Amino acid sequence: MESETKLKDPFSLKITPWVSFISFFVVWQLLIDTEIVPRILLASPVEVGKLFIDKLTNPDPDGAVLMTHTMISLLEALLGYVLALVIGIPLGLLMGWFTVAEGLARPLFEMIRPIPPVAWIPLAIFWFGIGLTGKVFIIWACGVVPCVINAYTGVRMTNPTLIQMARTYGASDWQIFINICVPSALPMVFGGLQIALALAWSTLVAAELIAANEGLGYLITMGRRLLRPDMIVLGMVMVGLTGWVIGNIIDRIERRLTAGLERGGAAT
Amino acid sequence: MKTTMEHTISVHATSQGNGPAAFVRRVLKNRHFLYVVSIAGLLIIWHFFAVSSKDSKYMPTPFMVLNELWRIAHENLAGKNLWGHLWSSLHRVLIGFAIGSIVGVPLGLFMALNRYVNALVKPVFDLIKPMPPISWISLAILWFGIGEESKVFIIAIGALVPALINSYNGIRLVDPALYDAIRMLGANRWQTLVEVTFPAGFPALFAGLQISLSVAWSCVLAAELVSARSGMGFLIILGMTMSKPAMILSGMVVIAVTAYLITAVLSKVEKWVCPWKVELMQ
Repeated sequence: MESETKLKDPFSLKITPWVSFISFFVVWQLLIDTEIVPRILLASPVEVGKLFIDKLTNPDPDGAVLMTHTMISLLEALLGYVLALVIGIPLGLLMGWFTVAEGLARPLFEMIRPIPPVAWIPLAIFWFGIGLTGKVFIIWACGVVPCVINAYTGVRMTNPTLIQMARTYGASDWQIFINICVPSALPMVFGGLQIALALAWSTLVAAELIAANEGLGYLITMGRRLLRPDMIVLGMVMVGLTGWVIGNIIDRIERRLTAGLERGGAAT
Repeated sequence: MKTTMEHTISVHATSQGNGPAAFVRRVLKNRHFLYVVSIAGLLIIWHFFAVSSKDSKYMPTPFMVLNELWRIAHENLAGKNLWGHLWSSLHRVLIGFAIGSIVGVPLGLFMALNRYVNALVKPVFDLIKPMPPISWISLAILWFGIGEESKVFIIAIGALVPALINSYNGIRLVDPALYDAIRMLGANRWQTLVEVTFPAGFPALFAGLQISLSVAWSCVLAAELVSARSGMGFLIILGMTMSKPAMILSGMVVIAVTAYLITAVLSKVEKWVCPWKVELMQ
């Protein structure tokens, strides 16, 4: 009997997640409808859904339609993120292989590393204002750290046997770096990309909450100022949804790019 | 150029020979020398950049930052000096972290041990997980006002997620061979839990708590940046509104040092509370 239940989940176990999922929304809706939770404090799922449809076309009361807010947040996040990759990954790779690069860059990097990304926000706003540049700088500062760490660790974890073998065949430092260290660091680099992305997205929301005049974080702030809980919840849902979608896209790209590598890795 | 990994292998080949070329090579290979060059270079460039920039109020020199650090450590800003603000932040972190881990760890354990609990909690948790903790701030302020509770709420949410995920995964990923072994030795359910499940899952659980605490530290800053009247986040945003970059930078220094100390202390504690972690890794 026990082995049977292990092979096939009982019906009750299959249905529980759906029950939980649906009852979450039902309870939420009922709490609002019965006024146990006042409408001023929380919006019901139906209201949020209505507002979602309304905000697709209606720029009031916060000055932009939902797509504009989302696109602006995405643009800021992606610009900063791409800059972080372009600078962080090569830097980390070089630091992993060349003593001079490590010796010069490491102390500076170790100084930046413990600063929580959100702590850059006041400085960035002070230097660059509340526009695009400031946001891009914040995202860059928080994305670059995991990129460097992971690229560095990836290179340092290269199999030493491969390096010695290449050296025996007369490869130069540079050839070893490009042909052996970089490819073997790729899976770690992608791990870094995922971390950087999650960090970038939540830091961006924090930055927009503090100072912005557009973007999803601004939508949330405006919801608070106008006492519109439905706007707050809509903003939160959009933030969560967008972050989840980008995470999945990165995951796809990673699988495609490192598919051959993992097979090669398994063979050795 | 010699590489770090080759360092030990080729040390004999490069340290031989005299003359300026060999000397330069030896110097470039010395990591500590390079560290000193790097930090000195940063300070010098920073100093001269700050001095020569036309608008000196945007870029303070390193000395100005040190001066400011000394000043805010002694003078009161909004009723508290630096240590007072640091303590208000840490106080919030400790309460929020305690709540988050007291809820998150047992929940993660039960989810890992019981499929029904997992099936019940996981869908709701997956809905909440992708939202950055700071995005709750507006709701938290609506619910609890701008006092302590709203900050503690944000920190608790931020700390809960890694605590739950790690305790869940830690228990789930215990090597099945360990279970087979202890069952063969005739252990009952309770003995299995105490002798295998908890010790084997504990390092991952503790790693989760470490992540929780550093997330909590950045959540408290974010929450204080949005609305607060004390704390390190408040201090740097005050520096921003008063147009005092030296104050922002010295606040950031204190924040970074605190974050560093938190990590350092926790990794010491980790070695002390789960010394068997290394054995499990191998």
